[in-house]
Amino acid sequence: MTSPLILEPVFQIGPVPITEPVLVTWAIMIGLAALAFLVTRRLSLQPSRAQAALEAVVSAIDGQIADTMQADPAPYRALIGTILIYVLLANWSSLVPGIEPPTAHLETDAALALIVLGATIVYGVRMQGLGGYLKTFAEPSWVMIPLNLVEQITRTFSLIVRLFGNIMSGVFIIGIILSLAGLLVPIPLMALDLLTGAVQAYIFAVLACVFIGAAIGENRPPRNASGKEHDTP
Amino acid sequence: MNDTIQAVSIIAAALAVSFGAIGPALAEGRAVAAAMDAIARQPEAAGTLSRTLFVGLAMIETMAIYCLVIALLVLFANPFIK
Amino acid sequence: MRIDWWTLGLQTINVLVLVFILSRFLFRPVAAMIEERRAAAAKLLDDARAARAAAEAERQGVEKQAADLAQSRGEAMKAAAEQAEAEKRTILAAARAEADRLRAAAAADIARERREAAAATSDEASRLALDIAARLLSRLPEEARVTGFVEGLAKGAADLPESVRAGMGANGTPIRLKVPRALSADEALACRERLSQALGRAVEITPIVDPALVAGLEIDMPHAAVRNSFRADLDRITAALTQDGRQSP
Repeated sequence: MTSPLILEPVFQIGPVPITEPVLVTWAIMIGLAALAFLVTRRLSLQPSRAQAALEAVVSAIDGQIADTMQADPAPYRALIGTILIYVLLANWSSLVPGIEPPTAHLETDAALALIVLGATIVYGVRMQGLGGYLKTFAEPSWVMIPLNLVEQITRTFSLIVRLFGNIMSGVFIIGIILSLAGLLVPIPLMALDLLTGAVQAYIFAVLACVFIGAAIGENRPPRNASGKEHDTP
Repeated sequence: MNDTIQAVSIIAAALAVSFGAIGPALAEGRAVAAAMDAIARQPEAAGTLSRTLFVGLAMIETMAIYCLVIALLVLFANPFIK
Repeated sequence: MRIDWWTLGLQTINVLVLVFILSRFLFRPVAAMIEERRAAAAKLLDDARAARAAAEAERQGVEKQAADLAQSRGEAMKAAAEQAEAEKRTILAAARAEADRLRAAAAADIARERREAAAATSDEASRLALDIAARLLSRLPEEARVTGFVEGLAKGAADLPESVRAGMGANGTPIRLKVPRALSADEALACRERLSQALGRAVEITPIVDPALVAGLEIDMPHAAVRNSFRADLDRITAALTQDGRQSP
């Protein structure tokens, strides 16, 4: 049994080793870009079926962001929505035979968590200024500064490990089951993997929302009224 | 020597996962029970409650996942195995 | 345990690129479309509201028009009523004036008739008085109708102005003496003597019979007269009576 912690490069471009998560991510990117380009090429006020579905997805994301952050979802829609869609597709890519999800490897999760960490800092500084953002580390008092700093690191680490552990364990368990009984037995576990993947994608996006919302502080602009109706869990 | 260390590592991994799963399992059960109670009392708050429940479950689950990661580290990245 | 830093960096770049791609090609146009649809719906609502407001304004305009119409109708009716009232007043005034005129004319007629009646009554009365006087005198002796008045005649002649007296019976012309009946010789003599005595010279007389005198003697001259008879007395009384009657009708 191969270790899930070790990546073997598929091929090499110069000094850069290209591994399987990168390839899968590229495939996902190409697919998403093609879909987005195809659907948004002819947007109209009378939506087609695909456009209606996309609009429902975007509205649901907007509603979740507005509910979680109590703020206008427009500036965060792209980041949160992309994280949600990408993590969801990456988790579900295990359905394709022979493909291991990119999120089952630490590097992809670390990349996502680092992006979230950077986004919290960028949004916090943008909304409150550098001094205002740094001041949030001294709340409720300066004694908490080390704890707040450690929290920044640990919650990023927990983001990484949570996603990695869930997806990797699913892949790992299916691998073990497959080695024991190849036919029909893994199917319930794969269904559980689908559920776990969706929930983990949602949790990752919501936690990103929570972290960014905590970073931008209380003096955020009034939330958009359009975000209220979409209260899907 | 390596065989002994590997055997001990496997035992340690199993212990870590099993005992690490006990606490989060109990905690998740309590959390879900409380959430069900709250939803039964206040069905109109089901959306907010279930979202908070999922986030909370994920937080709790993280403990179990930590244990799992430790087990995997012990199994596949054991620094004492040459 | 080995972290593949190349994979980590590549995945980070990949995710960032994906964020850009989806933001550019998916979220922004779809959100814009949602916003556009929302704006279109809002515009539709606004249009409907505006149309309703316009309809409402139109309805109010029509109502106002109707009210104006009713008001103008009321004003016209009021004006007509006023006109009718004025005409009625005019007609009434005219009728009243006509009535006043008629009443005044009637009053004038009545007054005239009363005057005429009074005149007729006075004539009647004077005639009646003359008749009465004549009837009464006829019971007296015939002499009384002349001789009782001789003194009065003389006195009247004496009261005349001097120039008139001088002209009376001058140059032998006789004085025209009106008498109620033919004088006897004695009476004629007596009359001539009294007159001559009154005038201071001898005069002749020419008796002229006038039964209307009833009783008395009168001298009739071109420039003067001596009224000395029942007739003259009755005339004076009648005149006084009618004068009184006219002054207090």
